[in-house]
Amino acid sequence: MKAAPFDYAAPTEVDEALALLDEFAEDAKVLAGGQSLVPLLALRMSRFDQLVDVNRIEALRGIELVGETLVIGAMTRQATIERDEEVRRHAPLLAEATRYIGHFQIRNRGTIGGSIAHADPTAEYPAIALTLGAEVEVASVRGRRRIDAGELLESAYTTTLEPEELLLSVRVPVWGARSGFAVHEIARRTGDFALVGGAAAVTLDEADAVARAHVVLFGVADRAIRLSSLEAAIAGQPVDQLDLAELAREATAELRPPSDVQATGAYRRRVAAPLTERLLRTAFVRARRAGDPTEEAAR
Amino acid sequence: MSKQLISVRINDELFEGEVEPRKTLADFIREDCTLTGTHLACEHGVCGACTILLDGEAVRSCLMFAVQADGASLTTLEGLAPEGGPMTPVQQGFMEHHGLQCGFCTPGFVISAHAFLRDHPDPTEEEIREGLSGNLCRCTGYQGIVRAVQRAAEITREDVTA
Amino acid sequence: MSTVEKPSAARFVGARVQRREDPRLLSGHGQYIDDVRLPGMLHATFVRSPLARARIVAIDLEHALAVPGVVAIWDGSALNGDAATPLWDWAGEGTPFPEVRALAEGDVRFAGDPVAIVIARDRYVAEDAAELVDVEYEPLQAVVGRELAEASTGRAHDGIDTNVAWSAASPTDPALEAAFAASAHVITETFRQQRHVNVPMEPRGLVAHWERGAEQLTVYASSQNPHQDREYFARVMGLPEHHVRVIMRDVGGGFGQKIFRTREETAVALASRRLGRPVKWIEDRQENLMAANHARDEQMTLRVGVDADGVITAIHASHLADVGAYPLMPAMMPGFMALEVLPGPYRFARYGWAGKSVFTNTSGISAYRGPWMMETVAREIMMDVVAREIGVDPAEIRRRNVIQTEDLPYTTPTGREYDRISPAQTLEAALEEIGYERFREEQARARAEGRYLGLGISTYIEPTAGAQGPTGIEAATVRVEPSGKVNVLMGTGSHGHSLETTMVQVVADQLGVPIEDVRLLQGDTAVSPYGGGTAGSRSAVIAGGVARISAIKLREKVLELAGHLLEAAAADLEIEDGTITVKGSPGSSIAFADVARIAYYDPSRLPEGMEPGLESTSRYSAPPATYANSTQVCTCEVDVATGEVRLLDYVVGEDCGVMINPMVVEGQIAGGVAQGIGGALLEHLAYDETGNPLAITFKDYLLPTTEDVPDIRYVHVETPSNTPGGHKGVGEGGAIGAPAAIVNAVADALAPLGVRVTSQPLSPDRVLAMIDDARSA
Ligand SMILES: Cc1cc2nc3c(=O)[nH]c(=O)nc-3n(C[C@H](O)[C@H](O)[C@H](O)COP(=O)(O)OP(=O)(O)OC[C@H]3O[C@@H](n4cnc5c(N)ncnc54)[C@H](O)[C@@H]3O)c2cc1C
Ligand code: FES
Ligand code: FES
Repeated sequence: MKAAPFDYAAPTEVDEALALLDEFAEDAKVLAGGQSLVPLLALRMSRFDQLVDVNRIEALRGIELVGETLVIGAMTRQATIERDEEVRRHAPLLAEATRYIGHFQIRNRGTIGGSIAHADPTAEYPAIALTLGAEVEVASVRGRRRIDAGELLESAYTTTLEPEELLLSVRVPVWGARSGFAVHEIARRTGDFALVGGAAAVTLDEADAVARAHVVLFGVADRAIRLSSLEAAIAGQPVDQLDLAELAREATAELRPPSDVQATGAYRRRVAAPLTERLLRTAFVRARRAGDPTEEAAR
Repeated sequence: MSKQLISVRINDELFEGEVEPRKTLADFIREDCTLTGTHLACEHGVCGACTILLDGEAVRSCLMFAVQADGASLTTLEGLAPEGGPMTPVQQGFMEHHGLQCGFCTPGFVISAHAFLRDHPDPTEEEIREGLSGNLCRCTGYQGIVRAVQRAAEITREDVTA
Repeated sequence: MSTVEKPSAARFVGARVQRREDPRLLSGHGQYIDDVRLPGMLHATFVRSPLARARIVAIDLEHALAVPGVVAIWDGSALNGDAATPLWDWAGEGTPFPEVRALAEGDVRFAGDPVAIVIARDRYVAEDAAELVDVEYEPLQAVVGRELAEASTGRAHDGIDTNVAWSAASPTDPALEAAFAASAHVITETFRQQRHVNVPMEPRGLVAHWERGAEQLTVYASSQNPHQDREYFARVMGLPEHHVRVIMRDVGGGFGQKIFRTREETAVALASRRLGRPVKWIEDRQENLMAANHARDEQMTLRVGVDADGVITAIHASHLADVGAYPLMPAMMPGFMALEVLPGPYRFARYGWAGKSVFTNTSGISAYRGPWMMETVAREIMMDVVAREIGVDPAEIRRRNVIQTEDLPYTTPTGREYDRISPAQTLEAALEEIGYERFREEQARARAEGRYLGLGISTYIEPTAGAQGPTGIEAATVRVEPSGKVNVLMGTGSHGHSLETTMVQVVADQLGVPIEDVRLLQGDTAVSPYGGGTAGSRSAVIAGGVARISAIKLREKVLELAGHLLEAAAADLEIEDGTITVKGSPGSSIAFADVARIAYYDPSRLPEGMEPGLESTSRYSAPPATYANSTQVCTCEVDVATGEVRLLDYVVGEDCGVMINPMVVEGQIAGGVAQGIGGALLEHLAYDETGNPLAITFKDYLLPTTEDVPDIRYVHVETPSNTPGGHKGVGEGGAIGAPAAIVNAVADALAPLGVRVTSQPLSPDRVLAMIDDARSA
């Protein structure tokens, strides 16, 4: 199990990397943490003439709060995100979801940019980006652009990134007061990719009605998906009057998840409903608690 | 494809070599540096047998290319304890609690346990099980391994207080 | 329970002695097969069929041979002629067997079938070239699926006009039918077990070195039994046995997969002879999951008659096994063994059986830790089915049927003779340790809260150290060197079994020397006496037995010589900690090392007629089988919303006779239990209907992790066997008993929902589907 030959460059500046990507286009591939790409190369399921290793580009690393947006460099390791105080404070969902990714040795190398660019339909980070309404900033020699997570994720292992584009950072909006989050998944073993997973982010108004809600499932389609009909159905509704079980059932009834050796599509659909219900329940509880000044102080 | 010259510090010794970019760090360690204490049991990142410390952090050496480690400092199983010197608490724990049978998974477990205990000096059994869930062993049923890590934490605490 | 007579100065046998192999393995200085490097060594890889069944139309090597660094590429027609055909042959009367050759020739018979071998400067280059070997295939209908094979219009093999590899049944027995007719209840159920892979963490591999001048083949093997490897290579390569040397050093697990040498290993040895250079092949994980031999893949239908109290009156068992294309054992074995062992720990007189094995276009079946264990799976799940059906507690139904001490000696309906076993005791011990009654209360409380807890029991008798042909005899040479240090030479093939510790414990006790002074040398046919290797739970009984016999023989000589030197009777001497003393007169003593030195260097001081030196070789021929017994009990919780199963508690009550080292015994049990957990919950080497394997990476073939195997507790009962040390084997029991215990626990948890669990693995989707089926029924 050995990779086919390739040429290798490890630029230290973004521009150098962009120039290489431009030169080799489809024949080049960005190497980030390598935790997904290297197995594909070793199994000879993928091959490229030129690897552009971006691990030595300092500018792609780091976590910074810019206004109401947490800007996370594409090459920031999952392990760093898991432990980072800014992330815990401003995007606790991201920190919480990180623990579901593989194992600590994987997270020591795997990056947020790599996870999102890889677009595994059962992976956590693309789903969390979608849940929080994140954008990615990408660049090519022709310039920079921002892409909304929903537009980035196209299908399984496919994004709307062009081959010569490099993902620079992930821009995660900070959700305001009275917001609550939840992430949960069902996997065959600890650390495995999810059979079915989901995340929710909600904001409540002063009357405990739903001011804003994003509910996302992954593992149920060729990419992470938002349950827009559910989001619309609960918008403006008082939390206490929602029949979450019924809403979750309705929102998941039309799903047609894929089957594979680990689980049938029917199973994935079947557990999507209780999972969705659980996510909302947890997010609501946390949102209320986040608004409670005594709880705030206790934290 | 053209070879590249790299130099890597492994267990405090400098190794220089000319490698094809596609050569994995694991193969470089095992073949070019003849440090065969690092094992390969899957070569696709799942089993953890190839775990080493890269600048102090536990990583899969089968999921890195040797060229990526140019200038880095690594620790492998051979480098944990001084040659002929006393074993580390983790090694001691594995010995006392039958944490290995065939020994093939052992390098990855011992290295991972070292990194894990550094971050969790006083772990619960649950934390140990979660922490080592990325390493596969087919012989032990993990009984001795979990206990070995508990014991290593205990020895370390004793050493600190002593 | 009687206690075994231990040597008076027993200090090591029975103690949790730390392992002698550990320091080297813990410091990275083991010597596994991939660590072997010889000057001029080349690397091999294989071109494998992507199809399950196809005609090979053409093979074009041109592009592959042009890759720089490639030394040679051979396909079957070019290489197979160098070896005897077939490589192994298990045809019998009415039981066909394919002609086994190193590489496929003319057609391919499973996805992964080796079609060509590529030899190159390194493995990277070899894989580059393998990709460029252009094979044109004409697809044929593949035979896939154990239950579809017999009726398939396809044929798994050319030249064998049936897919039935073996079929047999016990004679019709009117008494059996009468017993069923007289039974209060007759219950029938079929149990299925999916395809597993042994998955040693170190895959297969070897370095073969044909030494031109010496005309000798040296094979560094990742093996369980070097002496049988030597016979194999000598036979298939037409070499005299003394021109073949097999060396095994550290081996990263085998679990049955490394007992016999396989087609690929043969091709590598042939390549080395052609090239006159060492050739290394290290199987990668994908090859291991795809093309190393698989296991299980079988089903068993039981018809059980019981009286009104649940006492078994009669059992009929029928077994169906998929043995794949090239099984690494006779096609009858999985079925025959399982059917023969099925009566297990229960008393009943009437038994009938039928067995069938089918060839399919899948990787062949080999032995895997307890290769007959379908009997325990079927019987023990059935015990719970019967118990539930007739309203008896599952512990109680076992109590009513289990063989009691007063029943011994006892002969099973298949003629197995039990004595010195304790199945009733291990059953009770395990139930007590898990807290059976308390659990039932907890379970009732949980049910009231809508939580589903369950408990499962699995009781079995494990035939260990089955003695047949080369595996029935073991030799040990115990050699006290002139300095008094001791080398023990054996034909074992320890690969994780701790024999470097346990055999040394046995010998050190007998010779009365410190354990550090004794060392086991095994795994080299040029050094160790002929032996049967390590498999079939044989080492403690047969190897431990002969180590003891040989050491006792040598001890006698040591004492005779010491008595002569001390002018005392040998019977009045004792050896302890390296010193031989006249009992009762501590002043009169001699160091063990001095006796050794005199034995070698000072013949004038030996008694009349004594041969110089201190060395003894013994051979021990073991009884046909030695029986261990065990009960496993576990508890679990099932999440009925998601189908997830979590094991909560696990207890194994085990009687493996006199334990040489309880730590090692528990390690063997735990490893087996973990494999059973894998089989019950996670592992499945599935094929699609065209014979394409679907789980050939570790991302898809799921081994249990630290989170899947709970803490295991053990209760030991020690009923000595009638073999020299009183030991019984313990290598396989863990894996034999676990699946049924787990399935029973899940079934018990889901019993209020009317679920009957008859197949594995209990993945969340299958658990949920079973619940849904029961609800809609
Ligand atoms: C045993 C194991 C278990 C795992 N379990 C999980 C899990 O449970 N959940 C999960 O989400 N992941 C899991 N992973 C995958 C892991 O999270 C990966 O790290 C991640 O999917 C990819 O990130 P990476 O940095 O390693 O990227 P790489 O593997 O280096 O790259 C992945 C892809 O993204 C592209 N890419 C990377 N960075 C950029 C960039 N900046 N711009 C443009 N393209 C880029 C690459 O070209 C490549 O196509 C697991 C991996 C292993 C080995
Ligand atoms: S060999 Fe690297 S993780 Fe398995
Ligand atoms: S000790 Fe053999 S695989 Fe872990």
